[in-house]
Amino acid sequence: MPFEALDFYDVDSLLTDEERMVRDMVRDFVDNEVLPKIEHACRDGVFPDEWRVTLGEMGVLGAPLKGYGCPGLSYTAYGVICRELERGDSGLRSFASVQGSLAMYPIWDFGSEEQKNYYLPKMASGEWIGCFGLTEPDYGSNPGDMITRAEDMGDYYLLNGAKMWITNGSIAKVAVVWAKLDGVIRGFIVEDGDEGFYAPEMKGKHSLKASVTSELVFQDCKIPKDRILPGVKGLRGPFSCLNNARYGISWGAIGAAQACFDSAKEYSLSRIQFDHPIASYQLVQNKLSWMLREITKAQLLAYHLSQKKDAGNWIPEHISLAKMNNVDIALEIARVARDIHGANGVLDEYPVMRHMANLESVKTYEGTHDIHNLILGRHITGIQSFTRDLS
Amino acid sequence: MSIAVLLKQVPDTTAKIAVSGGRVDQGSVSKWSTSPYDEYALEYALQLKESGAGDLVAITCGPARSSKMLTDAAAVGVDSMLHVEVDTSEMDSKQIQSILAAAVKHCDADVILCGKQAADTNSGSTGPGVASLIDAACVGMVSEVSVDGDGFSALRGTPTGNERVVVSRPCLFAFDKAATELRRPNVKGIMMAKKKVIETVSPGDLGVDIGESGIKINAHDSPPEKPPGQKFEGAESVSTVVTKLREEANVI
Ligand SMILES: Cc1cc2nc3c(=O)[nH]c(=O)nc-3n(C[C@H](O)[C@H](O)[C@H](O)COP(=O)(O)OP(=O)(O)OC[C@H]3O[C@@H](n4cnc5c(N)ncnc54)[C@H](O)[C@@H]3O)c2cc1C
Repeated sequence: MPFEALDFYDVDSLLTDEERMVRDMVRDFVDNEVLPKIEHACRDGVFPDEWRVTLGEMGVLGAPLKGYGCPGLSYTAYGVICRELERGDSGLRSFASVQGSLAMYPIWDFGSEEQKNYYLPKMASGEWIGCFGLTEPDYGSNPGDMITRAEDMGDYYLLNGAKMWITNGSIAKVAVVWAKLDGVIRGFIVEDGDEGFYAPEMKGKHSLKASVTSELVFQDCKIPKDRILPGVKGLRGPFSCLNNARYGISWGAIGAAQACFDSAKEYSLSRIQFDHPIASYQLVQNKLSWMLREITKAQLLAYHLSQKKDAGNWIPEHISLAKMNNVDIALEIARVARDIHGANGVLDEYPVMRHMANLESVKTYEGTHDIHNLILGRHITGIQSFTRDLS
Repeated sequence: MSIAVLLKQVPDTTAKIAVSGGRVDQGSVSKWSTSPYDEYALEYALQLKESGAGDLVAITCGPARSSKMLTDAAAVGVDSMLHVEVDTSEMDSKQIQSILAAAVKHCDADVILCGKQAADTNSGSTGPGVASLIDAACVGMVSEVSVDGDGFSALRGTPTGNERVVVSRPCLFAFDKAATELRRPNVKGIMMAKKKVIETVSPGDLGVDIGESGIKINAHDSPPEKPPGQKFEGAESVSTVVTKLREEANVI
């Protein structure tokens, strides 16, 4: 049976026909190909390769990018895609976010014409997987102080350093890696098989188990000269990618919350304790109505942000607010949904604990919850509080 | 000559059906979908088009909301769409068949695919009715069709096995559930669908006079509520259960 998503204010009626058709397409994929397999994928700790193939066939990778074989959809459609994918699993949405917003986008915006023509069509079709290397073992929230360095050797660049927590790292053909060249952050395209490049998988995650996370290690890694992204210098490069991915996450989190709400509602109606369905008790109804309230607000926030994104009148702080809020409420909804399921909530027969564990990562990556608070704090007061140096 | 697929929009199988004033309350239907058997007809119509049997037109006869179904069909590869926009709620099968037959002629189609019955009315008469009006061979209960020389080869299920039927143009195939996967659109298809214009006409534009209906529907009723389930425990109840299964449920 197709999924009927909670949409109390009928926010989806604001979508265009095209956006609704894209939604139904992705929803159908999640119902028929993701949900039947997701628990297995999590137990085995793998990202099923057939999902890559189908994402490519549906043509949703790099959704809002135009030209070079990319879909050319609206940012609203991109949001809807993220929401539908994350209703399945945050790991699946992570795959699409990284591919589209973090790997394809920098090539599309900052790449040379040759780079765009060479990489983008194969990445849009899903043939080549991309990853995005910014975080390092010692530099997470503070990527500006990264250690990874590139040296100009005349005929080539020499890359040394290590990245950590890189989604899709071990399965990627194309890695967009941020490293300092003469002290300035630049983007480099590293390919699987480049000499001195290794991408061992990080095992043992309790979260996003169906998503591959890896280290990227560069030991005197030789990069041809034409693999530097010519169009950007400094933190603006990685941050503009993150803006797009974070925007998608603000929609995606709603999908996970909708799945948890749906499961909690069904479960509470069928679970009898003290002779009555637990849904008939005021405490449980209070939890469900709180979920409805928060999901509805999150939907309106995401939709309005999408209109700003499509119109081009947005600032990064708008995105920070939506990412922070929507992931926050989704995580809390997942926790409350887990509670409503009682002991059954810890079983993988129900999606709630999986979403809950996934959302812990989503809260941390793409700018932790508190980093977004600091971004907003700086916006409000004009005073940055990331470091003690207040100059 | 081209291929036509006839599509009907029906209440989604998940939608709740309410009856008021002796009629199904269409306004209360929360979701409309393409009738499931028609989806198989569409899939095979696309396969025939892809094997070079001709351009494919999707035709529907129904109210304004039905056009969404044609756009969905365009997204999976239908070349053109014809919408005979009319309120069909009080029409009988014969009137609808005459409209569809005229629509098929209007599109110059001589290979027609449709579902064996619609999921709402279940009458099962559209395929044979249209076929007889346009003098086409009619193959019912089809689960597969492919191009065979100048004609077509269709597989139909019978209670004792499968039957393969070969027919030539003009012909009509009424589809049962088929083993094939239904195709999902992709973004390219969805973008293309936006550009394709639906031709919208009235029965009068097609030169059809549907006349008065010869059939009068007295009233629609909701099915009676199912009696509650019965529960039996322990080995001693086996014979009671067997008797009930045989005599009340008629399943053994
Ligand atoms: C599953 C997963 C996938 C990931 N995928 C990628 C990827 O594909 N590419 C990539 O580059 N990175 C990726 N990351 C890394 C992610 O972006 C970082 O984990 C994130 O930026 C936080 O960095 P950190 O883990 O080092 O935490 P830290 O920066 O050490 O933060 C730890 C805590 O300190 C708080 N904190 C830090 N600084 C301050 C401050 N100034 N004031 C107040 N509080 C502060 C944080 O809010 C947090 O609560 C991924 C992470 C995970 C978990």
